[in-house]
Amino acid sequence: MRSMRRRSFLKNTVSAAAVSSLPASLALAQSSGVSPSAKVVVVHGKDLAKMLDAGIAKLGGWGAFIKPAMRVTIKPNIAWSSAPEQGANTHPSLVKACVLAAEAHGAAKISIPENTCHPEKQTFKLSGVEEALKGTKAKLYRPAKDDYQKVEIAKGKTVKTANVPKDIVACDCLINMPVAKCHSATGLTLSMKNWMGSVSNEDRRGWHRDGLHQCIADFSTFIKPKLIVIDASRILLTKGPQGPGELGHPDEIILSTDPVAADAYAATLFKKEPFDIGYIKLAHEMGIGCGDLKLIHIERIEA
Amino acid sequence: MFTRRNAIRLLLFAAFALLALGYVPESCRRWSVALPALSPLLSLGGACASGAFSLLTLAALPLLVLPLFLGRFFCWNLCPMGFLAQTVSRLNKRNAGLIRKVPSVGHVLAVVIVASALAGYPLLIWADPLCIFNGFFAAWRHPFAAASAVTAIGFIGILLASLVAPNIWCQRLCPLGGLEDVISQARTLRKPPKDAAALAENVRLRRRTFLSFFGGYFTAYAYGLFDKKAQRAHLIRPPGAHSRGFNALCARCGNCIKACPYNLIVPDLGSSDIDGLFTPTLKFRSQNPEQEQFCFQTCTACTHVCPTGAIRALKTEEKLQTAIGVAHIDKKKCIAWEKGEYCVVCQEFCPYQAVLEEDHKNVKCPTVDERKCRGCGACESQCPAQPIAIVVEGLNPQPHIATPAPSLKSQLNP
Repeated sequence: MRSMRRRSFLKNTVSAAAVSSLPASLALAQSSGVSPSAKVVVVHGKDLAKMLDAGIAKLGGWGAFIKPAMRVTIKPNIAWSSAPEQGANTHPSLVKACVLAAEAHGAAKISIPENTCHPEKQTFKLSGVEEALKGTKAKLYRPAKDDYQKVEIAKGKTVKTANVPKDIVACDCLINMPVAKCHSATGLTLSMKNWMGSVSNEDRRGWHRDGLHQCIADFSTFIKPKLIVIDASRILLTKGPQGPGELGHPDEIILSTDPVAADAYAATLFKKEPFDIGYIKLAHEMGIGCGDLKLIHIERIEA
Repeated sequence: MFTRRNAIRLLLFAAFALLALGYVPESCRRWSVALPALSPLLSLGGACASGAFSLLTLAALPLLVLPLFLGRFFCWNLCPMGFLAQTVSRLNKRNAGLIRKVPSVGHVLAVVIVASALAGYPLLIWADPLCIFNGFFAAWRHPFAAASAVTAIGFIGILLASLVAPNIWCQRLCPLGGLEDVISQARTLRKPPKDAAALAENVRLRRRTFLSFFGGYFTAYAYGLFDKKAQRAHLIRPPGAHSRGFNALCARCGNCIKACPYNLIVPDLGSSDIDGLFTPTLKFRSQNPEQEQFCFQTCTACTHVCPTGAIRALKTEEKLQTAIGVAHIDKKKCIAWEKGEYCVVCQEFCPYQAVLEEDHKNVKCPTVDERKCRGCGACESQCPAQPIAIVVEGLNPQPHIATPAPSLKSQLNP
């Protein structure tokens, strides 16, 4: 069943010419001289729900990602007990829009496991996400010990195993939905860095000890989200990741199926070269995706 | 056995036990303070010593007034500890008369507690039965730990004593019973004794009360001199902890331990001084490897449940400006300073932006701004260094931090 789904998913996304997976990029590369190997959709606007729908339409529509009876897992960044307008967490409206879309497309189960930095009760409440998800079937929770599963990171250079919430390992559609903001240790926190909010605290601490950028890149050799949506409606420019700090207002969301490409574009919002961010450079070199802006097709739309 | 009176006592006992256990709706949590506060020794004695009079102090009134009219009505009808002690006493019929030879220590204890409270250091208030009862049940709410079990010593002690010498607790040892007795004796003071034996007894009673009072007062005074001089170990106390004579003021009732949503507060097992045994102290991750929480910015749970005023009730704004300790970085252990890793997790987690960064060999390294640090332990809770490089040291008295906490908007009313 699962492999069938995966195949049909691949077919759909390839036909939408929206993935950086090898066959697609090769096909493109052969057809023209210099051709993009990844696609990023940047939606500018004010209404996050509308923006999300418009962006998804450019990637082949929700049907390309979510099919009836699928188990959908969403990974927003809801780490801190901080209000939506402070930009430390993914905006609740964006999470809600995604959950509603998943429900509309027949998802059987919608999980949002989040290993918050602040106590989960205050974090889920203050972030506005708990309130936004009221009445939906999404399950927002902080994974307990039993909710984790140890996985092998076969291609990891430093990270060989990690404890990941079961709902992230065993799902049919994984959506990474970080907020873009500056970060004290890594410079920026974008989509690949967002997985640090999934793994266990022990892993998290280990990654800091063992070379943070390499560990983040290593984990992305394992974790394969079907869709990346970066919330850049407002971005924390200083005092990240917790804030409060200075805010920028790009009023954008960034959609892609290539985490490296999505992060590379998002870095430019902070006036940074993507390859100055260690984990973007490493991920590009390891072939996880394309971080070279010259090779990324950026499609801008208004919504 | 199963009279209506006993049934009512059993129900009361169960209600008190549930309250002490904390199995009450979240909104009624604060009521768990009500049980120990009923004892005037705790609420009024504590208020006299700490100067923190509050609404809670009024809870002392019923047991101050009741004995004037009904003697030890509370002891024989309402007290949950008394119910248990009296029930256990019935099991031993042979030694029923044993306590006749025992002097009434309870009277002395009651007077000593009152006198020492007036001197500013209420000695022995931990012998209060409501406090012992509350502490015992409070201990069982957390996963079983040796530290919680120790607070049950008094409780088990009372039951064992009652088994060996029936009614010894209620009739001879209990300081609250002693207090009730002393107050009810005031009724008879006006009536002149009729015979010589009663007169002699009266004189003896007064002499004992007088001696206990001044004994207690001066002992407390001497204790106060010692307390000021002693170099106290730097335990991290709950926010709002009284700076002077905390060890005397704390009744070990376990309320604050139970109130902490993050299980940070534990009874101290003598890591400071002998008189600080079982007082509440916060243990962050460096002292409790399982602990990954910190004293959350807007949480004031432990400050609203202290019956004696050893911990003052704090408003959220006050809590945000109270430092319970200060973080220190050991650069030799820090992976940024020592190994050049990109870390500064301490800075990432600090809710008060009190961890500053310094450039060292092109790597951001942390330093602590002591003017902003509240000692909440957020940095310590996730420090990846092995052993932990940033550790909070307790501060007494707890300094007021003038720099406002950042993001007040998001911090208030979670």
